[in-house]
Amino acid sequence: MPTYKDMVQPVRASEAEMRKIHIEPVPDDQKCEKAIQYLDEIRKKYRSFVMAMESCVKCGACAENCHTYLGTKDPRNIPTNRAELIRKIYKRYFTLEGRWFGKLVGAEDISLDVIEEWYSYFYQCSQCRRCAMACPFGIDTCEVTFIGRQILHWLGIVPKLHMGVGAAMEKVGNHTGLPKPGIVDTLEFLSEEIMDEFGVEVNFPVDKPNSDILYIPSSADYLLNPYTLMGAGMYFTYIGANWTIPSTVSEAGNFGLLFDQYFTQRHNVTRLLDAAQNLGIKKIVWGECGHGWRAAKMYIPSLADRPVNWPITHIHDEVAYHIRTNQLKLDPNKVDHPTTLHDPCNYTRACDLQENLRTVIKACVADFREMYPNKERTFCCGGGSAILFDDPEMYQRRIQLSAKKAELVRATGVGKDGNGYLCAPCSICKAQLYPMVEEHELGVEVKGLIDLVGKALVWK
Amino acid sequence: MSWFILQVLPYITVTVFTLGILYRLGRWAGARIVHNITLAPFPQNNSQVVGIFATEVIFFRSLFKSDFALWVGAWVMHIALFSVIGGHLMGIYTLGKQFVYIGMSEGLSEAMSSLLGTTFGIVVFFALLYLLFRRMSIQKVKEVTVTSDYLILILLLSIVTAGDIMRLVPSLSMEYAPAKEYVTYLVMLQPIPATAEVLHNVIFVIHLLLVQLLLIIFPFSKLMHILGMFAERWIINRPYTEPAPGLPNVDVPAARAAGLGLPAEGGVE
Repeated sequence: MPTYKDMVQPVRASEAEMRKIHIEPVPDDQKCEKAIQYLDEIRKKYRSFVMAMESCVKCGACAENCHTYLGTKDPRNIPTNRAELIRKIYKRYFTLEGRWFGKLVGAEDISLDVIEEWYSYFYQCSQCRRCAMACPFGIDTCEVTFIGRQILHWLGIVPKLHMGVGAAMEKVGNHTGLPKPGIVDTLEFLSEEIMDEFGVEVNFPVDKPNSDILYIPSSADYLLNPYTLMGAGMYFTYIGANWTIPSTVSEAGNFGLLFDQYFTQRHNVTRLLDAAQNLGIKKIVWGECGHGWRAAKMYIPSLADRPVNWPITHIHDEVAYHIRTNQLKLDPNKVDHPTTLHDPCNYTRACDLQENLRTVIKACVADFREMYPNKERTFCCGGGSAILFDDPEMYQRRIQLSAKKAELVRATGVGKDGNGYLCAPCSICKAQLYPMVEEHELGVEVKGLIDLVGKALVWK
Repeated sequence: MSWFILQVLPYITVTVFTLGILYRLGRWAGARIVHNITLAPFPQNNSQVVGIFATEVIFFRSLFKSDFALWVGAWVMHIALFSVIGGHLMGIYTLGKQFVYIGMSEGLSEAMSSLLGTTFGIVVFFALLYLLFRRMSIQKVKEVTVTSDYLILILLLSIVTAGDIMRLVPSLSMEYAPAKEYVTYLVMLQPIPATAEVLHNVIFVIHLLLVQLLLIIFPFSKLMHILGMFAERWIINRPYTEPAPGLPNVDVPAARAAGLGLPAEGGVE
């Protein structure tokens, strides 16, 4: 288990693996010098980062608002201290006060130890932005850990998990490494499942030319969350949409956002725009994936290297629109479980999706109970930014990171009789919560939101 | 020494303060807003953005929601400090007759100016003490603090203490008139006569020395948060227009009438 001077660290990618994602790892004796060089380049570019470095007053209001700090009680997991890991270097090399007064203003020389600290603590941050909401100035620690992770990536330090996903994205266009025949097979199997369980005929068109709608599912939906994909298929069939799933970019997520906002993230955007152009698409509809939706909605406009001619919306937006205009017949009694909604941080703080989530879930569930704090004040599931590491020590961390969420789920009482539903409409939330509801013994089953739409649809 | 602090240092202070702030603002402006990181709920237009800025700047809305105990100290301190600074400007300029503009008599205005100044001076002292105590006593806050955080609080406390002494100890007090005279000399770039009262009030000289120290470190410290707050919110509170919902070539009633999804013979529960 990798630890470094009492810090937990995820297993990291080997040098050969780093070369697969186009990075030549920097040797140890050059790491410090290179880190300063990269930091200098990137600080001149991102104002959000500069402001986080230069206007924090260290009031500490963020501490109790961070589930990572609440779960671990590690002072370096207080958002401002997490940012301080890089701020102390920034002060030392790029500010007058840091150069002149050093320790007095909290400046510190760079060393390999500091870089190892970055690796440990920036990969314990879920990048959920709750600290940005709590901060009186709106300082966003997420912007700091994004840049910390970017610098680590350029130095050749990336978790094996993220490296693997980055490599798979480039090779086949999705995170799980599923090639086109696998996609088609799985979708045929899902069609049969829908027929068996719901008695409805649903086809999943793949790469169908001249489609109006390009649906981008999360690739985890093929294997881990099949009901989400089934629900989407049933919805599109129900409304009679001319839709298709592209095999070249069958992935709503984009791990580039989480460790490499340059090549890795842009590559996925390029694939998407190519697919939309080739298939004659009119509108792109995004599947259930939190960070992926943030990457699509907020980052494609600034990452695309050509005009984006297709409006991009989320499937929850579209379902909510059809519900508000009374075009869907839904029977909430078909979902006969007390249900609460976990607001994924990327939807409700970064993408403004909170009201539509509620429109949809209230139409699909008879016994819906709000979990507080909710909407933009939601606590993260503890897996945000894909810190879903499975090695034993990091797994223990994940249990700690989800402790706050567990407490809130318990407070809703949906799991009292052991038959509750915890609706978590995001692939990373699902991947985190599937094991965590067991670890914390919450008595709930984790569901997606489109799963519930599929179940509640009334066909005639 | 008094002569240096009151006659020479102010010009150095103003130069460092102005150039320092321009330097910092230049650094901020040099970097760009690269991606859209607007924070939900998204404002729909610029008047909503102004509303967010106003509630944050005037009432510290986010802090109120996230840490009430801190909000009490911080809000009271900032409002009192702001009032004190405003009182300095107006009181010295009008010689305490600023409230004549809202209908008071001259005598009442002077009494009001004096009363409010002393009150806010005491309030800001205790609020600063509260913040310092908080920084030293709460574990999580101690863990985020570096030495300069304490020093800035102590500097502010010293400035306020010197000011309050002049307010509360009659033998050390400083009237508006000699202060105005002194500021006039500075602004008109004229030498201060050796007999000027300001040169002979030790507390006043200390007060001015500490204030100038604060202004000199201002551009190179976290005190820049006063401007940083606007710059940061300019990034995270921006209007956003959602794309229109509704899917192309979708006609739900027609699809349902055609029975799409229903198998040829039965099957649906």
